[in-house]
Amino acid sequence: MNLIGRRKWWYIISLVLILPGFISLCLWGLKLGIDFNSGQLLVVTGPATTANVTAAAKDLGFTDIQVVPSGEGQTQIRFSDPSPQSQHEANHQKFKTALGNAHLVEVSFDSVGPTVSRDIARNAILSLLLAAVAIVLYVAYAFRNAPPPVSPWSFGVMAIIALLHDAFFVLGVFSLLGHFFGVEVDSLFVTAILTIIGFSVHDTIVVFDRIRENLRRERGSFEEIVNTSILETLARSLNTSLTVILTLLALFLFGGQSIRMFVLALLLGIASGTYSSIFNASPLLVTWHNYKLRRHERQLRKPKAAKA
Amino acid sequence: MSLRLKFAIILLLAVVTAMLAYPREDKIFKLFGIKNATLQVKEGLDLQGGAQLVFQADLSKTAAADRDKTMSSLLTVIQRRVSGVGTSETQIQRVGSDRISVSLPGVKNVTDAINTIGKTADLQFFIIDATTGAQSPTDVSGKDVDSATADYDPTTSQPIVQLNMKSGDSTKRFSDLTTQLSQSGNLLLTDLDGQPTFGPARTSAITNGKAQLSGNLTVKQAQEIASQITAGALPVNITLVAQNTVGPSLGRDSVSHSLVAGLIGLSIVAIFMLAYYRLAGAVAVVALFIYTTITLSLYKLSSLVPGYTIVLTLAGIAGFILSIGMAVDANILIFERFKEELRAGKSYVAALEAAFDRAWTSIRDSNMSTLITCAILYLTSSSTPIIRGFAVTLGLGVLVSLFTSVVITRTLMRLVIRQRWGRGYQQYALKENEVAS
Repeated sequence: MNLIGRRKWWYIISLVLILPGFISLCLWGLKLGIDFNSGQLLVVTGPATTANVTAAAKDLGFTDIQVVPSGEGQTQIRFSDPSPQSQHEANHQKFKTALGNAHLVEVSFDSVGPTVSRDIARNAILSLLLAAVAIVLYVAYAFRNAPPPVSPWSFGVMAIIALLHDAFFVLGVFSLLGHFFGVEVDSLFVTAILTIIGFSVHDTIVVFDRIRENLRRERGSFEEIVNTSILETLARSLNTSLTVILTLLALFLFGGQSIRMFVLALLLGIASGTYSSIFNASPLLVTWHNYKLRRHERQLRKPKAAKA
Repeated sequence: MSLRLKFAIILLLAVVTAMLAYPREDKIFKLFGIKNATLQVKEGLDLQGGAQLVFQADLSKTAAADRDKTMSSLLTVIQRRVSGVGTSETQIQRVGSDRISVSLPGVKNVTDAINTIGKTADLQFFIIDATTGAQSPTDVSGKDVDSATADYDPTTSQPIVQLNMKSGDSTKRFSDLTTQLSQSGNLLLTDLDGQPTFGPARTSAITNGKAQLSGNLTVKQAQEIASQITAGALPVNITLVAQNTVGPSLGRDSVSHSLVAGLIGLSIVAIFMLAYYRLAGAVAVVALFIYTTITLSLYKLSSLVPGYTIVLTLAGIAGFILSIGMAVDANILIFERFKEELRAGKSYVAALEAAFDRAWTSIRDSNMSTLITCAILYLTSSSTPIIRGFAVTLGLGVLVSLFTSVVITRTLMRLVIRQRWGRGYQQYALKENEVAS
């Protein structure tokens, strides 16, 4: 099976998967939850409709009221309470009474002030950047004695491209989910993205490790070696992803409501991570290698042409 | 170490951790004559219900050098106040430079908790001139108060707050003040946090340091004020900046749901491994079982070590379940390699050793990237216990899975291929014609 020969197709599939979400991300961005945007979020089970929520909130001065059903009879009510934070608990109790306490069960209530949400957002960006840098350095270090023709850095860079592929795929899907279904991203979502990044590299490294091993044995062209390496690790990549995806699927279907979106993000990311480690990271090593070869040849030809 | 000894140790480990991980471990302890000993997995707020409150301290008037000291005395005062709220297992932590996170598992009335913790409880005494109404300061303050209790006025049966001044100088100054007031006929006004709360009222000379303050109070207010005064005034003002309350219903549903999901996930993985890798798959299932008991025992045992207790959250359960997948990955890597080496015509022993040697770099390097992300998540999540819980369970899971895959799977596989029933290509889902002769 020649996977490397069809690499252009794999890149196109990736583009098709990522592009819609990427466009959505550029147009609408992500729908940020109160973790990043500050505000109040009340989750209840019971009859809560936009009409009765708005009516109940009338005297309390709440603004930006949004009512989103979130499955299993739960409803998320998001609002902004302009009063000082210490009043929020009291207001939220009044709000519940106005909503008709008897028929509603409170699942959770969160209230995040602007200073805290700024910090959470800063922490999220910081941790994503740290993770990316740490992983490139680690991959370059782990592959420091990789035999030619590939430099350790290109292993690191290709691993990063593969992880960006996975991160943007999930970000894109959640941007679409946010725009069309009101799905918000919170700090757990950032955790999911970080885990996906970790898993994506985990998967990529296994294939890279085989490429390194096969390069030492020196047989065939670089393209052939990469192709064999992917095929040799294919069963492992698919089986591992299958077990992880099966456990996550069980969690998605039967686990708690409050982490369902978190598990969905992990599922999408790990599926994407499997694809990218097989069809992007290693083929990209070949593409990059060929590009450098061509450039090298051109440079060799140039001086000769000048002499003649 | 001989293979038999290793196997015996693994067996012992499996039995001990299985007993620790068993949900009713107290019954097992009883068999060994240890009574009333239980080990609990500590559950986070999202699982058992309760509230997390984040307060920000106003350090703008505190010199940079004194900030750490101020924050730690703030922690002490809040600690004392929280013990009056009446929930057990509260956790009070400094977060970042100027925030304090207070976790109150199982707390019923969050409004009361916010009020009890957040009030500065700064007590001040003033003299009010009986004729002019002019207000003048005194040399007595909340710092002179030792403790306070809520009580009823014996004559009016109105709720009052009884102050006990510190003995010695404090009692003497208060005695001087009240003696002077009783002689001049001027009034005593007591402010709490800048609000006139008690008086102005006439007072008799109080020489024993026990003052009864009455104001327009309910019983609950009197109790709150008394406990705040006893706990001491906050060194700086604090404001609530975030809160997270979880009803107990969410936790109950989620735990049972996640447990079911985890069991289903584990069973599917076990069936898959058995179907795909046959005998090796069975070894992996045993290793996975030991992996689960070790991890659960660690969760439980960590509750004995203060400061390092693993707090299980909903995301933490997801981390644990995800780490099962990672644990299987190491086994898959080894078995794929084992089959490959067998196909290349190696003997069982040589194929197994080569499989572990070659798979080890992949296992190590790939798990390292997950450990790096866990470490980063852990370091940046001091104020978000949910995320910290995920980082801890996933990271711990990866470490334990490295141990079980490399030590336990390896030892068991070495034993298995020494048995007659442990040899045979169909045992590992290989066909005779696949193998190079």
